[in-house]
Amino acid sequence: MWTRFAIVAVIAAAIVFPLFVTVNYFIHLAILAMIFMIVAQGANVIQGYTGYVSIAQGAFMGIGAYASALLSMRAGFPVWLSMLAAPIFTAVAAAIAGYPALRIKGHYFAIMTLAMNMVVFTVLVNWVSLTQGEPGLPSIPSPEAINLGFTEIAFEKRRAYYYLALAALVLVMWIVAAVVRSRVGRVLLAIRQNEPFAEAAGIACWKYKLFAFIFSASLAGFGGAIYAHYMGFINPTPFSADASLNAILAVILGGSGTLTGPLVGGALTVILPEALRVAEIYRLIAYGLLLILVVIFLPRGLVPAVVDGVRSISRRRKTP
Amino acid sequence: MKRLLGAVLSTALIGTPGAFAAEKTLTIGYSDALTGGGAVYGVPQKKAIDLAIEEINGAGGIKVGADNYKIKTIEYDDKADSTEATNVARKLIDRDDVKFILGYCCSASGGAMASFIGREDVIVLVGTAGARSITSLGNKNVFRTRPPGDYTGAAAGKFIAQQGVKTLGILAVRDVALFTQYRDSLVKAFEEAGGKVVAIETFGGQDRDMTAQLTKLRGLNPDALFVSGYVEQVAFSHRQASELGIKTQRYGFSGGSAEQFTKVATAEQMNGAWDLLAIEFNADVLGPKAVAFVDRYKKKYNENPTPNTAYAYDQVYVLRDALQAAQTTTDMKKIQETIRALPIPKEALLKYLPVNGRMFDDKGQAYIANGAFQWKNGNWAFVKELPSDAAAYSNFLKTIKD
Amino acid sequence: MLIDFIQQIFNGLVVGSIYTLIALGLTTIFGIFGIAHFAHGSVAMFGGYLTYFLISALGIGLLPSFILAMAAGALLGIVLERVAYYPVRNAPPINSFIIALGLTLIIEKLNLLAFGVDQVIIPTPLVNVINVGGVTMPELRIYVLAIAAILVIGMTLLIQRTWIGMAVRAVAQNRAAAVLMGINVNSVSMFVFALSSALGVAAGVLVGALFAVAPGVSSGLVIKGFAVLILGGLGSIPGAIVGGMLLGVSEAFAAAFVSSAYKDVISFLLMILVLLVRPEGLMRRSSR
Repeated sequence: MWTRFAIVAVIAAAIVFPLFVTVNYFIHLAILAMIFMIVAQGANVIQGYTGYVSIAQGAFMGIGAYASALLSMRAGFPVWLSMLAAPIFTAVAAAIAGYPALRIKGHYFAIMTLAMNMVVFTVLVNWVSLTQGEPGLPSIPSPEAINLGFTEIAFEKRRAYYYLALAALVLVMWIVAAVVRSRVGRVLLAIRQNEPFAEAAGIACWKYKLFAFIFSASLAGFGGAIYAHYMGFINPTPFSADASLNAILAVILGGSGTLTGPLVGGALTVILPEALRVAEIYRLIAYGLLLILVVIFLPRGLVPAVVDGVRSISRRRKTP
Repeated sequence: MKRLLGAVLSTALIGTPGAFAAEKTLTIGYSDALTGGGAVYGVPQKKAIDLAIEEINGAGGIKVGADNYKIKTIEYDDKADSTEATNVARKLIDRDDVKFILGYCCSASGGAMASFIGREDVIVLVGTAGARSITSLGNKNVFRTRPPGDYTGAAAGKFIAQQGVKTLGILAVRDVALFTQYRDSLVKAFEEAGGKVVAIETFGGQDRDMTAQLTKLRGLNPDALFVSGYVEQVAFSHRQASELGIKTQRYGFSGGSAEQFTKVATAEQMNGAWDLLAIEFNADVLGPKAVAFVDRYKKKYNENPTPNTAYAYDQVYVLRDALQAAQTTTDMKKIQETIRALPIPKEALLKYLPVNGRMFDDKGQAYIANGAFQWKNGNWAFVKELPSDAAAYSNFLKTIKD
Repeated sequence: MLIDFIQQIFNGLVVGSIYTLIALGLTTIFGIFGIAHFAHGSVAMFGGYLTYFLISALGIGLLPSFILAMAAGALLGIVLERVAYYPVRNAPPINSFIIALGLTLIIEKLNLLAFGVDQVIIPTPLVNVINVGGVTMPELRIYVLAIAAILVIGMTLLIQRTWIGMAVRAVAQNRAAAVLMGINVNSVSMFVFALSSALGVAAGVLVGALFAVAPGVSSGLVIKGFAVLILGGLGSIPGAIVGGMLLGVSEAFAAAFVSSAYKDVISFLLMILVLLVRPEGLMRRSSR
């Protein structure tokens, strides 16, 4: 009941947010934050719920971004269709990569995904006839305007795109919530807690792991597509392993294995750099320290820590 | 209106028009790589811009009508990264409300900016960034002093063929737009002149061991070798080529100083190597104005200006001349048209090749002379200008849409 | 053609020997703790910078600087183990993994802060080139190979023949049993980090002399190090040696005979292939 109320309140706040913001720059940051929340939520599925660290979210974001941009620019797809096709493209790529990668466990898997990220990055740089290499793809179209009869919504406008990103994020949250609450979600949790045990209980773990990997990748691809049509320009730089590490960071900071954690973590990774406008180098050192401190002292992340804190306070109040 | 009233009042009070100008501040934005890999270009560029602003302010500022504008900058670090550069541009335009943006050392940041800036009511004066799309996209409000890499590459390809080279082996960085575009047009020009490229080998931005590629090229035995990329890697390529006993002529494109090269390779290993590039800032070639600039720069920063400093320095004077000629700081359309018709500012350091008598062509691109430098006695020596064709390239650029 | 072939093998072995040095540290740490120590590359770069600093700023000779830097690296390793990894020793492996990422960021940026963005080359007097029937071998590269070989042999002897080495092997095989036998796991942990980091620093110095120490080099090194681990088997010392050489040579061959643009892709594909065929790596794990 309260959860449902909170969800409605947050969405309502997000809907009215642009009305209160006079500086467009904050709308821009909010759009980036929401895109990144989608990518981080993807990382959460494989990392938080399944217990496998994938360092390939950046690559999958890139595949989604390039797929959507190229489909709309070269294959003449409508932008809306391209954006929906992007996660499917990414899912296919993830299935091909994940099938061999998931035969291995733990650190092997993490290193393998890191290698995959580098392979994708190298291909994006080298396959010039398709991607135009490092100079990048300029002039990526915005989604087609929607005519509502009385008014037309043009997505070159930042406020309109804000609502597009918000709708995408809500959709993603809804799907992820449904998945983690389903039987599949419970199996994933079982794999995270004790894979040999789950295996012994007769569960074909590799199927579920593959599903989690593909699902998480397709969310990154979806985020990438929204990114590409928002920025209007992409080149390989934002899809390096750094982006994957950022997604991991977002999940850890917010709280892995929780639905809200990646939202908080995703927002933090976009907003913190803005807030800490000290020299980049000190910021990254602070980042690293923060990461270590969170893991040592708040190993479950910010959201569960805050929730626990609130609970213990209210419990104390109830039992004076 | 208020400004007009103020001007009328002051004129009425003093009686001599222009003698009492209102002091105003013109805030311009600045986006560049101040940290990270691009900082090697971004930081000197910023220093050059600050120096030019200091000079202009010191000489009384920019005179527009009865007003006298002193320039002030708001600067942000874009880390030569596309997302960061977009953030910075958004911040400058949306939050700080600037109308003019300077800077951009690198392809990724400049390319990202160029992809959306056409929709904004600002003017951007790009310095060192080399990606072709920055001007080829045809934004009416973007102007760049650095010619694209492929403009110089075409001249270099022709030059190598004129040197009597029939077969060429290429070793080039793969992930920097400036170099890849240069390389592609070099190959095209060289083959059009009857030459044959035997192999194109590449390396990544962090590689420093090119022996595998060089060994392969050694086996193919071409008349000459061409190496391009940032100085760090080109220097290692020259050293390793020499260690592998490769004795053919070596051409290259990197723009590194002699000091940067001798940190990696010995002077003997460098002997006879060529560097074929746009004549960027170079006090030996550009004459007394350039020498004076070196003095001022050294005095302020206690170091030598890097070759790319002049691109951004000249842009500040472009802005001054344009505002004074247009007599407005707010009518962006008029200022754009003024820049498009602008002659070369008299303080400009580089040797521009005007197209139809104007500094910038229809796409906002300026051209400078290209030169061939050869390593002799431990330093780069200017040999001659390359056969550059600014008008032809400008016509070609018109046909490019991305 | 044959000469080029031999030349490429030589090129590959030199680079491979550096990969091996990096991988040895990584594999030992992994064998004992199950930690993917991503900060290892940054530690190596730190050693390279420090050596350069000792030589150029303090005027200390090349060899003493090298040894001092290795000692400093050993110390740094101990600090990392105590401060960062020790607190999460009983937590799930993902925690130590995140710690490693955090450490990488910190050390990398501290290097940048202390030593700047410019590439740094450790000066050596070795400029001669030996030519054997068309195969050219720069003196410096021969020295790199030799130093790497000495270090690898020394490390193997240390692990195989000494008391502390036996303790390390015991902990790697069965931590609980080692504790029961009275081995101080704490000191073994510190020893392993000290040894591994010193080897990492050695690799950094060799990279700095042969190529350069610069921002961005460390991540490439550590990723190649992990590729070696996967090729050779996580935790295996012979695997690190064979894997390093194999990776070096196959990269040279990939660049020469397939495509230099996709050189790294090819080496990663090789890694994936090995994983599929022999998930435990090419060599059976000798420790752990």
